[in-house]
Amino acid sequence: MRPFSTTRILLVGLSVVALASLLPLWVTGYILGLLTLAYYFGVFAMAWDLLFGFAGEVNFGPTFLIGTGAYTAGILDNVYQPPIWLCIAAGAFAAVAGGLVLALPALRVRGPYFGLTTLVAVLMLQNYVVVDASLTGGEIGLTVPDVISISDATNYEIALWFMAASGAILFALSRSPVGLILQASGQDAVQAGALGFNVTKHKLAAFVISAFFSGLAGALMVFYLGSASVGTFIDITVSVQIIIAAVLGGRRTILGAVLGAVFLIAMTEALRPIGDLANFVVFAMALVVVLLFPSGFFGLLTRTRESG
Amino acid sequence: MAEHAHLEVNGLTKRFGGLLAVKDMALSVRAGEILGLIGPNGSGKSTVMKLIMGIERPDAGSVRINGVDVAGWPSHKIARRGAGIVFQHSRPLHRQTVLENIMLALLPDKLTRLFADPAVDARARAIAERVGLTAVLDRRPATLPFADLRKIEIAKAIARDPQVLLIDEPFAGLTAKETAAFSDLICELRDDGRAILLVDHNVKSVARLVDRVIAMYVGERIAEGTADVVMRNETVRRVYLGGSIETAARPESSFRDAATPFLAVEDVSVFYGKARALENVSIHVHAGEFVSVVGLNGAGKTTLFNAISGLLPYSGDIRREGASLRGQSAAAIARGGIVQCPEGRELFTDMTVRENLDLGGQHLAAAEAADQISWLFDLFPILRDRQRQPAGTLSGGEQQMLSIARALMMKPKLLILDEPTLGLAPVILEQISKALERLRQTTAITVLLGEQNVTFALPHADRVYVLEHARIVWEGEPARFAAEMGTGYL
Amino acid sequence: MLFWQILIDGFAISSLYALGATGFALIFGVSGVLNLSHGALMVAAVVAAWAAGDQLHAGPYSGATLGVAVGFAATLLTYFLIVGPLQRTRKIREEEKEIFILTATLLWGIMIQELIAYLYTNNAKTVAPIVQGVVSIAGVRTPANEIFTAVVCWLAIGLLWLLVNRTRAGKAVLAASMNPRGVTLLGIELSQIYIAVWAIYGALVGIAGVLLGMFLGVSSYSVGPLTASAFSIVVLGGLGSVSGALIAAYVVGYLETITAYLISPAYRTIPALLLLVAVMYVRPRGLLGRR
Repeated sequence: MRPFSTTRILLVGLSVVALASLLPLWVTGYILGLLTLAYYFGVFAMAWDLLFGFAGEVNFGPTFLIGTGAYTAGILDNVYQPPIWLCIAAGAFAAVAGGLVLALPALRVRGPYFGLTTLVAVLMLQNYVVVDASLTGGEIGLTVPDVISISDATNYEIALWFMAASGAILFALSRSPVGLILQASGQDAVQAGALGFNVTKHKLAAFVISAFFSGLAGALMVFYLGSASVGTFIDITVSVQIIIAAVLGGRRTILGAVLGAVFLIAMTEALRPIGDLANFVVFAMALVVVLLFPSGFFGLLTRTRESG
Repeated sequence: MAEHAHLEVNGLTKRFGGLLAVKDMALSVRAGEILGLIGPNGSGKSTVMKLIMGIERPDAGSVRINGVDVAGWPSHKIARRGAGIVFQHSRPLHRQTVLENIMLALLPDKLTRLFADPAVDARARAIAERVGLTAVLDRRPATLPFADLRKIEIAKAIARDPQVLLIDEPFAGLTAKETAAFSDLICELRDDGRAILLVDHNVKSVARLVDRVIAMYVGERIAEGTADVVMRNETVRRVYLGGSIETAARPESSFRDAATPFLAVEDVSVFYGKARALENVSIHVHAGEFVSVVGLNGAGKTTLFNAISGLLPYSGDIRREGASLRGQSAAAIARGGIVQCPEGRELFTDMTVRENLDLGGQHLAAAEAADQISWLFDLFPILRDRQRQPAGTLSGGEQQMLSIARALMMKPKLLILDEPTLGLAPVILEQISKALERLRQTTAITVLLGEQNVTFALPHADRVYVLEHARIVWEGEPARFAAEMGTGYL
Repeated sequence: MLFWQILIDGFAISSLYALGATGFALIFGVSGVLNLSHGALMVAAVVAAWAAGDQLHAGPYSGATLGVAVGFAATLLTYFLIVGPLQRTRKIREEEKEIFILTATLLWGIMIQELIAYLYTNNAKTVAPIVQGVVSIAGVRTPANEIFTAVVCWLAIGLLWLLVNRTRAGKAVLAASMNPRGVTLLGIELSQIYIAVWAIYGALVGIAGVLLGMFLGVSSYSVGPLTASAFSIVVLGGLGSVSGALIAAYVVGYLETITAYLISPAYRTIPALLLLVAVMYVRPRGLLGRR
């Protein structure tokens, strides 16, 4: 069968996560904060990889889904102050609804049009947020009255275990029969149809799942940061970083996306001394990887010979 | 289970823009029967298959599978209704193992299958055993030989357990032994009670398997009957071979470059992925000679010509006047005087006839180009009349003439013509034939002509090669060809 | 009065969009590439012109020339460093190349954006216009620069049209956009055509950028919106159709101007985006689309 069974990989992953959960014992609050962000970022990237790596659709605007989830949760909290979990759930639902609205036209078109549709969605959301400033905080941003916790360690653990759970679900999904059908839908839609699979239905499902996890992670992050802004959740630069994280880590691996996310955040941090040039360097490195090592880290490690 | 399974097609019609690809097609296949659907390129046979399977939507007509009309349904619904298809080109999932590829075909169209089912695994292994893939179950398609890839396609078809099975060019690229094994497998499937439709270029390759044959040409049925009957049918023979064969060959000794022929193709082989498109092919063409390479669609003519023109990688050597062409870009080879007029014509459809010709004369001085154009208008008068029309609005025959004229604008030393007569009416063939005759008599041009239509090809040939299934199987003078190969050709 | 103002302003801005979009459409039509670093290349041209004026104290003409040169060079660099290698590589499957090129050009564009922000901050920059003064048209006081912009844009577009439709080389480029294989069979090296097209694109981008800098000014934040407006226009007009892009540029330019004047400058980009969404739902091929 496969070189490593799903259960074995999940068990290995679980042990790594368990180890990681011990980090607060040794590491400063600052680094915990970075890792917390990295874990949420990892979920964004994994959700993106499900859509791209499996359903074969390149989403240039994952921040449309993330931003919808984050802002819905944040605005709800600002206006009505319901319990946090309700806001988060609402955020996730809003992202799913947004995903459906985006998917319906997007799935009818092919190739570059799909990517462009997703880009347009992000721009529209960005425009809306900036324009309806009284509700959304506009360009300055939104602050929410509640946060989940003020303890670095608690926030870290929440992010870590959330990422672990999301990763486990997404990974298991990717390895399941449904995942196989998704891959077929993405790689060869005509063949998948001839084998009796409703490709549109499956791609829509992938969209919805990707939207759910993106929105959920976005909403959680709002209640971690205590604020939301265009620059953190919607800007096209964030979208690009998510794509880089997934591509660096290795497309179609799901778990690799987390590696890519951690690497990206670590790199940006490590380059902090050179100031504003840090972003430039990170993007430059990503470009080099895209040009020279298109299969990413995981691709290099496992070297699955798909193009013989 | 597949008791009275049958496929019944009536009045099936499909248009692509202005092109009527399939016109009023009707056929039926009973359970336990194999029907062959044959036709040259452009006959519409592949489109018929796609229409039945729902990959294309018909404009009119009905497709009944077990009595239910599925015409216009999406392909996944038709598949679930009991239809299966084996595509001409293997299309496995490249990132999955052979076992996973087969398992995929066994899965139901549900979103809720989250856990692997051991029963599915076992059944997949059983099917793999039946087709002979057990040894490679854990390998990925990229590492497998061509025949195994075809076996995966058959395995997927078996897994779907279809009552109606469509197979496109079942034996293309297989050795004799592999072909025999496949034939047996197809017969087994037939004996299970399925209705099988085999689609291919010619009757010969499927003659042993089929119970009946329907021949198509330019979208319509032209003959039906047993394989023998169809092979001898007048219309079919005319379509494939043309009419009676006349020859007017110049002896090979009359060409002066015997030692170093103008073009020498030596031991050339070409692979498309795993499929062998050319196998150790060697031909030569003398300066001023007209050579015809005769063969059915899919035999490898286009591949050979593309290799000569530098459009494909190949092993072996291709030499022009002794110097190897390897390493030269395709454009450089064309500039050097070896110009191809491809099967698809490759015209600039939004540009006028005149602009197309001007582009052909890019490398000439203005005066020289003007002379050449008036000579060509003399050769093909209809082009002069239509010179300001966009090339896309011309009829098929006129487009072919434009394509040849454009190539001639480059003043080639060797003109390669790939299937110029495909899909053209006899009247146009006459005109093109006359033009070729004039070229032969009034210029020193060398021509390499690839054709399926033997009646067209032979009068213009000094020598003939026959290409069959990627190999040269016969070489000699046209007169001898008529005597030796004529009957067995189809 | 307002009507004339909108008419004139809209014409100037539409002409600028038209110039940029024409280049974008040309690249897509001939080499099939959607260059997502388009906006960055334009901004690079502007910033170079500005830097020439601000730091080297060059006059407006030399500044503009330097700006165009930088835009040209950056565009060629995009082809030689990124697009060309990706198109030729064997490490990526053919079906995935398009996505990789989109991602790589997007990355490259953001890199340029960050570099500009780092070197020159992200404040808005304007370039000293070559033509100064104010002219009165139909009672509206218009900066002469606006007229100059429109004139130069149309000159450039006109030259391009002449080049493509009346010269041998230009026709070869046009033919390549219809049928690359046909062009090869006629003995014309595709690689040379690609270089020629990217060079033309570079010139267009440089000129459009510098004109934009003289007209409105840009900052590193303009990169995204500029790319977005270019591909919106090209999608609206129909991917691959240069004439479609021209028409769409005017539609978008006027939509933006009318919105800015009649509703609010803050909302100017919205109607065009809405139109784009509507088009993608209803007629994804665009107005005159071929592909």
